[in-house]
Amino acid sequence: MDSDAFAGFYQRSAPGLRAYLVRVSGNAALADDLMQESYLRFLCATRPEGGEVNYRRYLYRIATNLLRDHWRRPGAACIEDVPEQFLAARDRLSSIDSQAMLEPALARMRPRERQLLWLAHAEGYSHREISEITGLSAAGIRLLLFRARRKIARLLRQQIAADRGRA
Amino acid sequence: MTFRTCSYEKELHQALKDGHWPEGCGQELRTHVDGCGNCSDLVLVTQTFQRARTESERAAPCGSPSLLWWRAQLRRRNAAAERVSRPITIAQTFAWFVTVLVGVVFVASQYSHGLRWASWWSEFVPPRAFHLLPFGSGQVGWNLVLLISGFAVLALLSALVVYLAAEKS
Repeated sequence: MDSDAFAGFYQRSAPGLRAYLVRVSGNAALADDLMQESYLRFLCATRPEGGEVNYRRYLYRIATNLLRDHWRRPGAACIEDVPEQFLAARDRLSSIDSQAMLEPALARMRPRERQLLWLAHAEGYSHREISEITGLSAAGIRLLLFRARRKIARLLRQQIAADRGRA
Repeated sequence: MTFRTCSYEKELHQALKDGHWPEGCGQELRTHVDGCGNCSDLVLVTQTFQRARTESERAAPCGSPSLLWWRAQLRRRNAAAERVSRPITIAQTFAWFVTVLVGVVFVASQYSHGLRWASWWSEFVPPRAFHLLPFGSGQVGWNLVLLISGFAVLALLSALVVYLAAEKS
């Protein structure tokens, strides 16, 4: 990959990757750091064959590993233990789409659930692709996603009902 | 919570992914979605996340790709230099370690064998030369001189090894 090809790939993939990192980590500054590191590792590594689709998946895998490393670090909370409200409160994007109904619902989801939901429904990845990205088993992802989707759908409906009630 | 799958889920998921929902889908699928909890959840969640993704993408301030490119080049170059210089560093450290070890063994052996070579060497050196030394020409004086020299060499080499290690790190 030469400089121009990378610039094109970056322009197409960076906004989506950043959105993923911001939504899952709940911290825009951390997301920026992890995004830069993801691209640096992507450029330094031996990339998979198969063009941009595989490049993008590989990039998400690097970013997911970096997120996991961040959560494993002493002092950083574990992915399963991060208080969702705390993360949501630190999300700088909240001011941009605070009117959107997703924000309060996401704030009540666990980071792992956010990660799976985002990859499946925002990025459109299949269970097998999510498995490659996260390192979880495809069967486990199927069940986790089913539960997460049911949970967030309930929260979204509550949010919609509350919004209608206020209106 | 019961884990149930719906036979329409795959078709619906594809339609949502391709942006064909609802206009591009048949009446049958639309009617099914209205009555199926799983599928209506899928529609609600996918559409909400897709909208959120679009909003986030519009808002995302992304850095310069050329800067990242050059940083990656620098990192790759450093990694390559590290790979190339690693055997040299190991050989260098090993050489210094052997030198220090030989020095220590030499000083220790000379000290324990009573500095025989020194007395042999002193036969060829004019006695006047020893008068310049502050320790005189006796055996004790030579022992002390060699011991101090040995320690000085050892200290110098150790310092060099420490310096090289510190410079590397």
